Amino acid sequence: MTIIRPREIVSLVLALLLVALMVATGDGRATAATADEVGAFSKSKTVTREFIDGDATELVDSRDVTVNVDHTVNLRGRERVKVSWTGARPSAGRASDPAGEKGLAQEYPVVVMQCRGADDPSLPAAQQMSQKTCWTSTVQQRSQSSATRNAVWRKDAYAAPADREQTSGLDDVTGCEINPEFSTHATPFVTAAGKTFAACSASTMPPEAAVGAAFPPAEVAAFTNGDGQGQVNFEVRSATENESLGCSDSTPCSIVVIPIMGLSCLDTPATDACEATGSLRPGSNNFANDGVDAAVSPLYWWSESNWRNRITVPLTFGLAPDACNVLDSRAPTAFYGSELMSQAALQWAPAYCLRKDRFKFQLNRMGDDPAFVLVESGQASAAFVSGTREKSTADEKIGYAPSAVTGFAISYIIDEPDNAGERQQLNLNPRLVAKLLTQSYTGSELGRQHPGMATNPASMNIDPEFRALNPGLDTTPREAGAALLSLSESSDVIKSLTSYIANNPEAMAFVNGAADPWGMVVNPSYKGIKLPLAEFPLLDSFIPTTLDPCRQQNPAPYFTQLAAPVTSFRKVAEAVLDGWPNVQTKCERSSAADPYKTGRADRPGVGTRFMLGVVSLGDAARFGLRTAALQTSSSVAPTAAIDSSAGRTFVGPTDSSLSLAAATAKRGSTSKAFDLSQARLAKNPEAYPGTMIVYTAAKTRGLEKAEAKKIASFVRISTREGQVPGSGNGKLPEGYVSITKTGPTAALYAQAQKVATLIEKQTPAAEEKAKAPTAAPAATPAAAPVAAPAAPEAPAAVAPTVAPTEEIVATSSQTSRPAGFLLPLLIGLALAAGIAGPVTRLIARLRVQA
Amino acid sequence: MTEAVTAGRRRFQRPAQMWPIRQPAKTKAIEPLPDQLAIMSTSFTVLAVVVLWFLAQLLLFSGLEQGRAQDRLFGQFRTQLAEATAPVGGIIAPGAPVALLRIPSLDYDQVVVEGTSSGMLLDGPGHRRDTVLPGQAGVSEIFGKSSTFGKPFADIVNRGAGQKMTVVTGQGETTYKISGVRRAGDPMPGALAAGGSRITMVTAGGSSALTPNEVVYVDAELQGTAFVAPSGRLNAIGPSEVPMASDTTVMPALALSLGALALVVVGALFARQRFGVMRTWLIAAPVVLALAWMTSDLTTYLLPNLL
Repeated sequence: MTIIRPREIVSLVLALLLVALMVATGDGRATAATADEVGAFSKSKTVTREFIDGDATELVDSRDVTVNVDHTVNLRGRERVKVSWTGARPSAGRASDPAGEKGLAQEYPVVVMQCRGADDPSLPAAQQMSQKTCWTSTVQQRSQSSATRNAVWRKDAYAAPADREQTSGLDDVTGCEINPEFSTHATPFVTAAGKTFAACSASTMPPEAAVGAAFPPAEVAAFTNGDGQGQVNFEVRSATENESLGCSDSTPCSIVVIPIMGLSCLDTPATDACEATGSLRPGSNNFANDGVDAAVSPLYWWSESNWRNRITVPLTFGLAPDACNVLDSRAPTAFYGSELMSQAALQWAPAYCLRKDRFKFQLNRMGDDPAFVLVESGQASAAFVSGTREKSTADEKIGYAPSAVTGFAISYIIDEPDNAGERQQLNLNPRLVAKLLTQSYTGSELGRQHPGMATNPASMNIDPEFRALNPGLDTTPREAGAALLSLSESSDVIKSLTSYIANNPEAMAFVNGAADPWGMVVNPSYKGIKLPLAEFPLLDSFIPTTLDPCRQQNPAPYFTQLAAPVTSFRKVAEAVLDGWPNVQTKCERSSAADPYKTGRADRPGVGTRFMLGVVSLGDAARFGLRTAALQTSSSVAPTAAIDSSAGRTFVGPTDSSLSLAAATAKRGSTSKAFDLSQARLAKNPEAYPGTMIVYTAAKTRGLEKAEAKKIASFVRISTREGQVPGSGNGKLPEGYVSITKTGPTAALYAQAQKVATLIEKQTPAAEEKAKAPTAAPAATPAAAPVAAPAAPEAPAAVAPTVAPTEEIVATSSQTSRPAGFLLPLLIGLALAAGIAGPVTRLIARLRVQA
Repeated sequence: MTEAVTAGRRRFQRPAQMWPIRQPAKTKAIEPLPDQLAIMSTSFTVLAVVVLWFLAQLLLFSGLEQGRAQDRLFGQFRTQLAEATAPVGGIIAPGAPVALLRIPSLDYDQVVVEGTSSGMLLDGPGHRRDTVLPGQAGVSEIFGKSSTFGKPFADIVNRGAGQKMTVVTGQGETTYKISGVRRAGDPMPGALAAGGSRITMVTAGGSSALTPNEVVYVDAELQGTAFVAPSGRLNAIGPSEVPMASDTTVMPALALSLGALALVVVGALFARQRFGVMRTWLIAAPVVLALAWMTSDLTTYLLPNLL
């Protein structure tokens, strides 16, 4: 479900007005030529293929391709942008996985890749883009070597004469094994630091292109449908992920879209391999990875005939996540708490740390409960939480200032059968979520041994309930389909998710032991579990019996391996982004001499992916993850064996569904969070159930003045300039709904301003006022544990180093009586005893004599 | 006495016959004292000996001991510096060397150890564990003794004012300028500028050298730029590590050591009966001396740490 943003509606209106410039794209989005803040891009170009014989030029094919990109500015690492095109030549021989080298065996695809530099001949050479700054993750995509009769690139009409030599592209052949019989061309890679990798063998590639590198390939040879349209969610990499490519806020980069038209050949006979026009039917599949006509494959994207057909999309990157640590040496003011804020904090932090008149804002992700405890104990000044917490002492005063309206989503990556692309819409109801969370799908035959679950489906895609709500998916059982990747730690998100289940009678009946209409029952280990919970426990300890020697030697609870929760939502989001379930059931050994071990199952191939995970809306928007629509109301009897989604309302996370949800929140007092329980959310069937409000919780009594001022200024700034949507510093990223002075979030805005005033004022308790009319004692501990490098607590030792003014403070007296009298006492004692001994003796003797 | 030998009835002589148990009684020149008086007189003498020993240990021998400890620490720290393994932050084991203080004009060299409890300060000046290390941005506190165990801070208090002090740590070398002695009632130094560094040296002083009953401070300001202070310092220290605190955790060890001393003394008395003074002296004296040294060392743990 795509999120429709207000600015897109604005741009749609603009596009309609400017009819002459209007370009209607396949996905219904409109992209006008006006440059808005997200930098939507659109460009058309005529791409051609020609055969040149002497003076005669035969135009083989010509297409008018238009490329649209939904956003191009202030990109962050791993962000996905939507690249779509129209008018390209229909592709043939569709690969199951178009990314990286696996996409090479296709005909007429559209190559989308990321290159460093800008496509502007007026720039200095170092800032210009070329084939040598375009990233590929394997050597096969850069360098080719083949028998001369197959070396079609040597017949490229547009290639420089040097590139038609037997060996070309290489200045330095160190580390290259060049077969003198063959023709060889290499496209070296030049890193951001200026180092050149010859890229003629796997060992001369940049380090990020190592086999099994940390990130899967991003560059794709994407498929164009029969109508000339195609689209791909392209993942951009920043210098953090790919240092050799090195895209950053200071190093501009580009996305290069090359519609492969085939090589333009010079003086070749019609039977030459260079003039091949494809051996496969348009729209066909090539899952077997059969050979294709090289001249029309993505293999020679670098050849001048293909390269000249490129459309370059300029990109700008946002500041790196560590920018504040690098650019600002001040001690940070740490806010602890909800990970829902992480994408907002990424953009907000530079707006604070780069200004001398503000403080250095830092978000430290932590469970909501422990973060709140830190605020209570004074170890942190502020926490991000999503609900009211119990006060631990009666005179404690905590204010809750709404800072963001966002939430969680169940994101998914599910492929349609027959390589028909990714599933665009997924409907989930509370009972399906409950089935996943309670580990009630068996996963495989191993799980089927679990007592009481023998008749349960192996995975969700076989469950008739899921199939009724989401028709048309395959029925292959898979372990990844038995799990919802979730959080192992405590979080308000899990509380909200489980309360979504708890608020639904049909789901709770299932959890409490009633079979669903198709006979599926809850995993007995979770039967009757009390929901909601802030931390979902792993209760199943069933260890299957098996003949597999690996599993015999590594006995482990099977359902725990399936669920395998992780420690942050970011990890869930990256797993979904990579399409790589976190199922830990792989059990093998690398050779007969090695011990068996268990680990994460292999990444499934494109076409068979099925994975769900709980993510934050911020991450889902940043990474372009698809999010499931959640059921909000149902008019169907809970016991009916449904066969369609009729009678049920499903709502996905959109700006409007989040706003409607925020409007249902009921205001309490400034020392309470709004009531946004699932029961309230359920009142409006158009409201998204995963909506959550994140509050800045801070003390309104007993906080140090300087800290209180910082927190209050944060609340004000974050609810004003921090709520302007955009991708720049200090702006509100996608996945969050603006809190505004008017409209559905007006109550939140008003509360935030009130709480800001209270935090700044720091009203002391009545008796404290009477006791100490002046400032609170300076002994209040410093803001964050990391904030104070010095300032020991010895009362006499040093003046508080944070004292803003040069007050003269007298060194206080500290004395020790033992230290004062010890030495005199010892000396006196020694003298007295030393004299007393002989004197006693002498006196006695004198007496005896007398 | 030689009866058995001359008689030839015994082939093996008893040791007692070889080493006579009793000396022949000497003729008594003077009358013995009454028992009560003898006990009293001897008690006084023993008390005087014990106290004098403790005083000598505190004021004289402890200097030797501290000198030796400094030699050992210097060697250890030098090696760590060369290997670049000297600690620069985080939690450092108490007693480990962390810095070298040098005042070239006074020919002053002391290795600073981590921790400020009584026991740590026996080896040299101690770095207070909840402050930054010397040389790092912020205020670092170093405690030192001024009357016993080599008196490492006596020089700084008496002659340090105005001198340049070089501090070597795992992060490198920094130079501080020592200001004067600060006693109760003197103005505190001002707030540090951002990135500034100060070392506050804490020791005991008083109206006379014999009565060091109050805590005095010597501040040294950094000349130049400070090193970055890594995070992860302790944020609290134990009650035995604040100024003038004593360390009572030594009690069990002290009890054992006193017990051992008593046992050895009784053993020595018994051996004197059996083997005579000379042999007993030869065997027991080093043991008693070592135990006495150890016991008085442990006793100093109970004294105020800055003494």
